[in-house]
Amino acid sequence: MVILLVSLFLFLAIGVPIAYSLGLSTALYFLIFNNELLQVVPQILFAGMDSYTLIALPLFILMGQLMNESQITSRLIDYCLIFVGKIRGGLGLVNVISSMLFGGISGSSVSDTASIGSILIPEMKKRGYPEDYAAGLTVASSTMGMIIPPSIPMVLYAVTAQESVGRLFLGGVIPGILVGALQLLITIWLSNKNSYPREDREISLKIILKMTARNSYILFMPFFVVGSVILGIATATESAALGVFYALMIGVFLIKSLEKKRIYRALRSSVLTSAKIMIIIAFSKIFIWVLAYERIPDGLSEMISGFGLNPTGMLFLFIIIILIAGTFIDVSPAILLFTPVFLPSIIEMGISPILFGVVLVIGLAVGACTPPVGNCLNVCSIITGLSIGKIFKGAVPFLVANIITLFLIVIFPNIVVWLPKIIMD
Amino acid sequence: MVLLSLIFIITLLLVFLRYVLNQSITGANEIVTILFIYTTSIGAALSIGKNEHIGIDVFVSMLPNSFHKPIRVLQIIFITLLHTILFLYCLEWINKAGGYLMPATGLPRIVAIFSIPLGCVLCFLYCIKILIDVLDKPSSEIE
Repeated sequence: MVILLVSLFLFLAIGVPIAYSLGLSTALYFLIFNNELLQVVPQILFAGMDSYTLIALPLFILMGQLMNESQITSRLIDYCLIFVGKIRGGLGLVNVISSMLFGGISGSSVSDTASIGSILIPEMKKRGYPEDYAAGLTVASSTMGMIIPPSIPMVLYAVTAQESVGRLFLGGVIPGILVGALQLLITIWLSNKNSYPREDREISLKIILKMTARNSYILFMPFFVVGSVILGIATATESAALGVFYALMIGVFLIKSLEKKRIYRALRSSVLTSAKIMIIIAFSKIFIWVLAYERIPDGLSEMISGFGLNPTGMLFLFIIIILIAGTFIDVSPAILLFTPVFLPSIIEMGISPILFGVVLVIGLAVGACTPPVGNCLNVCSIITGLSIGKIFKGAVPFLVANIITLFLIVIFPNIVVWLPKIIMD
Repeated sequence: MVLLSLIFIITLLLVFLRYVLNQSITGANEIVTILFIYTTSIGAALSIGKNEHIGIDVFVSMLPNSFHKPIRVLQIIFITLLHTILFLYCLEWINKAGGYLMPATGLPRIVAIFSIPLGCVLCFLYCIKILIDVLDKPSSEIE
């Protein structure tokens, strides 16, 4: 076991991609301890990819990419402006509200950071906001892309934990809104404290209704995609395909900005992004197989029982572990590694796997905004040219919202489990 | 991209057939899954070629520039080694199980399993190409 973990660390440390580090460390383990078991490696690798539900992953990614390529971001930002009116720090609020809406369309925090950040950060800078504040807010608010359904990490967790995608989607709704609401409050507080500018927008019911009608087909998308899964009209994979179809219809016929070149770019990017995640899934299956072979989850379960923690204490301990680990490991591999290791103990303690999944995703979303391994930070750094440290400093006050939400969920689990229960039971 | 487009079209077609014509295509889910496995194998190889795989570069970036080239070479050698092992054991598996038929489509399993050795060969070729490129470059230009 020591060889497996030490070699994994060494391969990761010298920059071997995570997927291949997992494969190499298990291959080394087999070579040293049981040469004959090497023949199961391709079989487990194949089994890791052989899943109909996982096909939802590239399709959800494609849906988000198509919406991105349709240039809906500026329309969403325009729409959000009508809600902030003359409140101080209006563009900051627009940033948070846009992320809430965009999160429900793209399912990914990275594309949220890229698309909203590239428009709003320069605009906020021009209006006199500090650039690190604008960048930090963009990064922190993009975490809602992972929490508000449809969410790609939630699909990944659902497949790994063999849970219902629909329940997980529903479990993320209230926490996602809660994160957004808390980030809005923090934005208002900071804006008043630092006298950030106000937007000169007139608000009237007439304008709100007109703009809502104009953007209704974009706003309807998350309801269409998530609703089709929850109502049992389509499987997660089929709902993702319907989402792609919907995005194509909007981009080609309604917004009319989705040209062949853009569709091609979205397809290409989706293939590469999903392959990068899928290959980690496949190799992590081999790694997890070895962990199970060595009875690590059982040992861990016994060890945790020895702590004498109640479910709340266990979840708090778990939050600390994921917040620390999330700074070093990317979201997808972390879900794939933590789920099979911790889930048996979680279930044994009577904690809902849906609750665990939502806590895991929210915790890892914070990790995506913290150095050294923070994908959203990296993307934002490329857009703005600011150092990762500066952006992170700007994001910290807003990430407090995510941490508060995590603690609230642990204390009041109904924030997560109530909605799936009343809709799907 | 063609494979992903096919996955999308077939999945959408299945929904359409089920709700509009009340029909289904036998084995369609199996075909979509096979296409998906090929998309992953080929996509993963392409990601190697583009150096786009998810990794942790914090520790390497802390090292002086002169270390970057040997470390990059080491990474490529390890990835090549892993794919060689996979390729060899996969051939063994194909010999044993490739002839069995898949339950829904009735196609031999080799049709699906072949995606792994194919991916390995592509990865292997990309690794050689990158290795040549890396060896040609001075250490300061290595990402």
